[in-house]
Amino acid sequence: MISEQGRILERLLSGDFICEISDEDGWRYLKQSANFEAVDQYLATLNRSLSSAADGQVFFAAYRTLGDSERKVLSSQFQEIAAGLLPLVEWLLLVQQSSGSDVPVTQGSTIRSNELQSTIEDTPAYKEQLAKIARYRLFNSNSVEVVGQLNLVFKRLTELGYLMKPNPDKLIYIATGKIDYLYEVLRFIDETEALSLAEQAESAIQQGSLL
Amino acid sequence: MNQNLHQAGVKLLNALSRNADLIMQVYLSGTLHESEASPGVIDNLKKLGVLWRPEPGAPLRLKKAIRNLLEGSLHDERNRQIDTNIGSALASLKTLAQHYKEALHNHRYAEAQAHLNDLAEHVYALAESLANSVRTLFSRINNEFGYVASIDAKIRENELAQSQVSELLSQLEMFRFDELSEVAGGLRELRHLLVVALQQSFSRCTQELSMAQSRLLELLGRFREFRGRTRLLKGFLLHMEQQPDFVPANYANHSQVPALFNLAKPLLQPAAVDVNRVDHEQDLLLLVGRIKALHRTEKPHDEERNAQAIDVESQGQVELDDKAIHQAVEAYFCEVIDTGKRLTALQYLTSQALEFDPEVWIYQVIGGYQGLAEEDRQYFALEPEIEDHPIFTGNKIVRDVELGLR
Repeated sequence: MISEQGRILERLLSGDFICEISDEDGWRYLKQSANFEAVDQYLATLNRSLSSAADGQVFFAAYRTLGDSERKVLSSQFQEIAAGLLPLVEWLLLVQQSSGSDVPVTQGSTIRSNELQSTIEDTPAYKEQLAKIARYRLFNSNSVEVVGQLNLVFKRLTELGYLMKPNPDKLIYIATGKIDYLYEVLRFIDETEALSLAEQAESAIQQGSLL
Repeated sequence: MNQNLHQAGVKLLNALSRNADLIMQVYLSGTLHESEASPGVIDNLKKLGVLWRPEPGAPLRLKKAIRNLLEGSLHDERNRQIDTNIGSALASLKTLAQHYKEALHNHRYAEAQAHLNDLAEHVYALAESLANSVRTLFSRINNEFGYVASIDAKIRENELAQSQVSELLSQLEMFRFDELSEVAGGLRELRHLLVVALQQSFSRCTQELSMAQSRLLELLGRFREFRGRTRLLKGFLLHMEQQPDFVPANYANHSQVPALFNLAKPLLQPAAVDVNRVDHEQDLLLLVGRIKALHRTEKPHDEERNAQAIDVESQGQVELDDKAIHQAVEAYFCEVIDTGKRLTALQYLTSQALEFDPEVWIYQVIGGYQGLAEEDRQYFALEPEIEDHPIFTGNKIVRDVELGLR
């Protein structure tokens, strides 16, 4: 039998994000500072270290020292993240707007794909938005039906680890901590590039230009 | 008088129960649609003080007292009003306590009892209103201000609730238990009411209020977080609309890579099977058993079994070159006719120095004779020169044929 530590190491080394939703036991385990240290020590052998983001909501494996090859990997990874930002942001806003509760999707939010589907089908503006999102390279859908587009988007997001489907028979998805990581990335870019995104949005709202 | 009051109360309550549907409908919708009820019923309810018309021309509404009764008993969370007027309640408590003490001092016990009842009523009412206020606050917190949709509205509601909490807390500071105990003096009943009962409800209330306050702050933080995130998302979208070619600098190339973007590459691949491990044997056997019996042994590569290009073309026609021999047979027949002499086939063959095999030639001559039309054949006579087979009796061998005219 594999130990809890071994299981967590395996997930980390497979490139998974560990959060309360995707792996509650593992997340609680890593929350203990002694366990955190131990896992970090193991990872050190492989030039990796245990890293956390979004106020300790997610854990993942990072490189310990960066050589040229590591930098190359990080660079291509970053390009992937940057390319995926816009479709993901549009998707998050679509879900938020169509849910009607005005609450952003965060770790632990449940999304019922059939409810989402019926709302989108009833609202031409959402339909257009979804079609636009599904055409991005991240999702790369060529379906013209809402169902096909939605299914593909959900499938891709589950593959990428942003969503989880706790019960394979039910059309209910739960957002994982990786969504919170995404917000963190946005916030970081906002701060580093001095975009002042929140202020832009606020002034747009005050000017009444609806997004 | 008391009897009258009793009767009037019963009448009022009966009227309420008779018109329960109507009253609940008014309670839920806020106003009465006068067309839906008969004028007699409406007049009656107006007279009893259940319904009233705030302004001429305005629709009829429920009286505040009835509304309060319903809100209180139904624990309806729509009630968002909090009575924070504790100061005046305290003042009236003190006044009533003075009345009671004075009556007691003058030995007017009946009057004193009445004052005490009144005072008890007030104390309990104050305690109840405090408990109610806290309860409504909590019900709003528990459903996270679910009655308003947008986050901004939730934040406003939260701020209102916070101000109500601090108002309540500052009002609670007006409880001066040293003063109250002085007022109560040595009187047991008064002390019980003013000090014990009030203090109990006071401590419960302050405790719950401080909890409510922290929950409210927590909620406010969450709402602000939500709002921040929404703005972040919308702001990013706006920014991308304005500068569609925006690409963040590649932070991975910085000398200090931010921890956020330091994601190690997936490393682990599935492990391979180790067939030499004894403790895995059972599982491996199971796996092997599940493999369908397909014996596809790898065959050695066979060049000739390879598919080859096939040329499909029309076959050259094979022509039997039987013309020469036919002509020779015809010439032979003509020779016989021309000379009118008998001539054997082999003699003709040698005389003409033809290159046919003698056996084939003889066959062809016999065939040529048989192939003639019946009337033509009558002009010829064909006589074979036959000898017996040397070993097998009964078998004849045609050595030659002689052709002559009849």
